[in-house]
Amino acid sequence: MRTSLTRPLVLYPVSIVLGLCVWEALAHVIPRALFAPPSAVLGRLAAMTGDGSLSTALLGSVQHMLAGYLLAALVAIPVGIVVGRSTAIATAVEPILNAVYAIPPVAFAPFFVIWFGLYFEARVALVFAMCFFEILINVLQGVRNIDRGLLDAARALEVTGFTLYRKVVIPAASPFIFTGLRVGIGRAVNAMITAELFFSAVYLGQMLKTSSNAFDTASTFAVIFAVSLFGLACQEGMRLAERFIIPWHHASTA
Amino acid sequence: MSRGKTWALRLAGIAVFVLAWEITGRIFGDALFAPFSAVVAGFPATVRDYHLFVELAGSLQQLLLGYLLGCAVGIALGIMMGRSALLDGLLQPWVSMMFVTSIASLVPLFIITFGFGLLFRVAIVFMAAVWYVLLVTYHGARNVSPELLQTARAFQSSRMQIFFKVMLPALYPYILVGMRIGLAHAIRAMVIAEMYVIVGFGGVVYNAGVEISTVSLLGALLTIMVVGVALNEALKWIGRMTAPWYSERQQLSN
Repeated sequence: MRTSLTRPLVLYPVSIVLGLCVWEALAHVIPRALFAPPSAVLGRLAAMTGDGSLSTALLGSVQHMLAGYLLAALVAIPVGIVVGRSTAIATAVEPILNAVYAIPPVAFAPFFVIWFGLYFEARVALVFAMCFFEILINVLQGVRNIDRGLLDAARALEVTGFTLYRKVVIPAASPFIFTGLRVGIGRAVNAMITAELFFSAVYLGQMLKTSSNAFDTASTFAVIFAVSLFGLACQEGMRLAERFIIPWHHASTA
Repeated sequence: MSRGKTWALRLAGIAVFVLAWEITGRIFGDALFAPFSAVVAGFPATVRDYHLFVELAGSLQQLLLGYLLGCAVGIALGIMMGRSALLDGLLQPWVSMMFVTSIASLVPLFIITFGFGLLFRVAIVFMAAVWYVLLVTYHGARNVSPELLQTARAFQSSRMQIFFKVMLPALYPYILVGMRIGLAHAIRAMVIAEMYVIVGFGGVVYNAGVEISTVSLLGALLTIMVVGVALNEALKWIGRMTAPWYSERQQLSN
């Protein structure tokens, strides 16, 4: 039963404080080089933010993340819409899509090294590979699930060609498109840090590597936390954008 | 669309894909992107030179260990959080944080904490699977119909009876969906961890990349693709066999 004491407003702060206490207690049992206490992590986080090293690294990381993500969205959305409009093409493409989706995207990393080297281009390619299918599959599903009645009505009113896409197909599929974009941006942030660890170590990935090599787990935790927070912020940003751009969907599900 | 036509379209899609791969491969050559025929012809050599199946078998054992642990913990915590407002409130902030944490960013930290061996790979796979299983189970547990539970209580069923005869059957389809999502993430995490420390199947992918052997690289990718699809189909099959009454809902969640 939800009583006044079990409301999230009361419990969430309790949860955070309690969790931090357990973590702090654990960290005093385990050697510091293996597991840093939250007080040290917060200290490092504050120091990193203060001297600007965190924001500088993040600014560098965001470049390949955004480039790969935007590229993936720009390709996946039109492809998904065109393929999804034809039942025949969608049926033909589906097994291939499922099969390729089953391959862990990071396994393509060696190819990106061979094709693009170890720097910016390879990082963009990995981000692209890690979020492209996520977006494509959602767009495809959205277009395939459009209410037939809407399309019939459009046909009866002789709405065709570009207007049909702009006025009927895209708005009707947009909740799915936004889901794809939101899941995709979460994947893009994962891909961003993966690329920095697997190709030449730069920005946040380099901070992770150097700190863990020095057994400075407080800094490692601080970077992990910063990346998680950034990923969360990106996904929430997409949620806000969705509410702003397609308010009718939010109103109908709320 | 008839069954025959669907299959014809699927086969046509696969044929076009393989043909496109073959042509691309012939244009770029083995050094950049081996054609399909070369990958198939070179597969026995790939298996021999890189001990592909031996490494894969070892990797899958560790995958299974981490994955099953993740499922067990995820299901248990998911049910508890779904049925208790107190636990929900106390755990939700930490679960949400873990859920958005990128697995790749944990790899350097986990190497310090767990070393390079079995424990490290199992821990990474566990972290990749557990939160997805937990979240889907949690939503299932929250949605167990109150009428069902009230009816069971009205018939004086004990708490144990309600749990095993009402809750678990109602949750079963959710658990299966969560396990399938968790599996996909577990495989991805396994490859990330193994490519980073160059062991097992991921080590094969890494080494094939270093030797710029795209024949072996693509052979390894095809292998993990088959494994991923097969494991996913196996979970679906188990679902159909053990709970045929839910097969319809399962199809919806495809």
